[in-house]
Amino acid sequence: MKTPNKPFSKDILHIENIEIVCNDIIKKLKTDVAKKLQRRGAVIGISGGIDSSVCLALSAKAFGPNKVTAIMLPEQDSSDDSRILAEKLAAKFDVTDTLVEDITQALNGFGCYQRRDEAIARVITDFNPTVDKAKIEIKQEAASNLPPAFSVTVIKPNGEVISKLLPVREYLQIVASTNFKQRSRMSMLYYHAERLHYAVIGTPNKHEVEQGFFVKHGDGAADVMPIGHLYKTQVYQIAKHLGVPQEIIDRTPTTDTYTAEQTQEDFFYQMPFKQMDLMWYGWENNYSAEEVSKVMNKTKEEIESIYKNFERKKKTTEYLRMRPIF
Amino acid sequence: MMNVDTDLKSKIKDYIIESTLDDVEKINDNTLIFEEGILDSMGLLFLIEFLKDEFNIETNDEELVVENFQSINSILNFVEQKI
Repeated sequence: MKTPNKPFSKDILHIENIEIVCNDIIKKLKTDVAKKLQRRGAVIGISGGIDSSVCLALSAKAFGPNKVTAIMLPEQDSSDDSRILAEKLAAKFDVTDTLVEDITQALNGFGCYQRRDEAIARVITDFNPTVDKAKIEIKQEAASNLPPAFSVTVIKPNGEVISKLLPVREYLQIVASTNFKQRSRMSMLYYHAERLHYAVIGTPNKHEVEQGFFVKHGDGAADVMPIGHLYKTQVYQIAKHLGVPQEIIDRTPTTDTYTAEQTQEDFFYQMPFKQMDLMWYGWENNYSAEEVSKVMNKTKEEIESIYKNFERKKKTTEYLRMRPIF
Repeated sequence: MMNVDTDLKSKIKDYIIESTLDDVEKINDNTLIFEEGILDSMGLLFLIEFLKDEFNIETNDEELVVENFQSINSILNFVEQKI
């Protein structure tokens, strides 16, 4: 096991030579698309979130704004803010080939909403999808030694909140139904990429890739992932450097998947990004739980439990990153 | 009581072995089934479903703690408290 060569600190993930790092990413993106993939530009789905915004900015710099097609892919549950911010972003980086492809009808065709709502109603019987809002979330602490289990939460128009632990069949049906969203977006992105002979730029960051916070053959399907090696705090640092609009930087990352507001922290990560970045770095670079605990103001036992949680997440999501076996 | 215990325990153990396709020798009553990777997060959800179908036991959020699920013996204790 390799031992770390510098002391663990809160600044350990800060990118010192940001200009050089950005230029390297841009250069690699250009080479990957033009030489390895032999495509003449980039198609990218933009949501108004930080990851797709940074990918758009990098793509505009790598290929020139006139060789980037930015596509907004809203559906009936998307927040209106997402579209407004996505439009601002494209304008900021001079990307004029912007399209809005509303995928609601495609999702209706797949029965996405109906299948999801049926499963929710089996758990919370008075769920009314026309007026109630719903989301799924993890309620346990990340430091728990048990794997996480999801709960479904329904918010009534009068503010009443009903939350229940999701039985396995209903959990799987809800996830399988909502995954139509990411897979429909992927189909649309590839339609435009093939139409233009462009590459699809994937937007997952390091956490999404390694912890499996993506949909297999959905947002996990792309030709190149320029920020797949970057921690979330580094994505923010690059966003600031490249001039991504401040409203996008300040926005809490959401899944934009369920009708009720849902942060990525509630849905999946179980801790704030800043903490997660540092502890994930500590874990994958073999820093002892004791050394990390002192910097993070946590006990050694808490860090040990969090390390186990990371290990479990990486292992149980291996399936998502695997290619077909033959 | 002894027989009831043994019966419950063997049902739990049989379920875990059957659902994981693992070797019987690999799992004893105190094996840490999550820590050793025998069951994962989906395995926990299917286990909760099994407890409901087999023993009519509903598990709530607060009961999802390691003390109730870490081994066959802990699951047995949990089941006995709830029956």
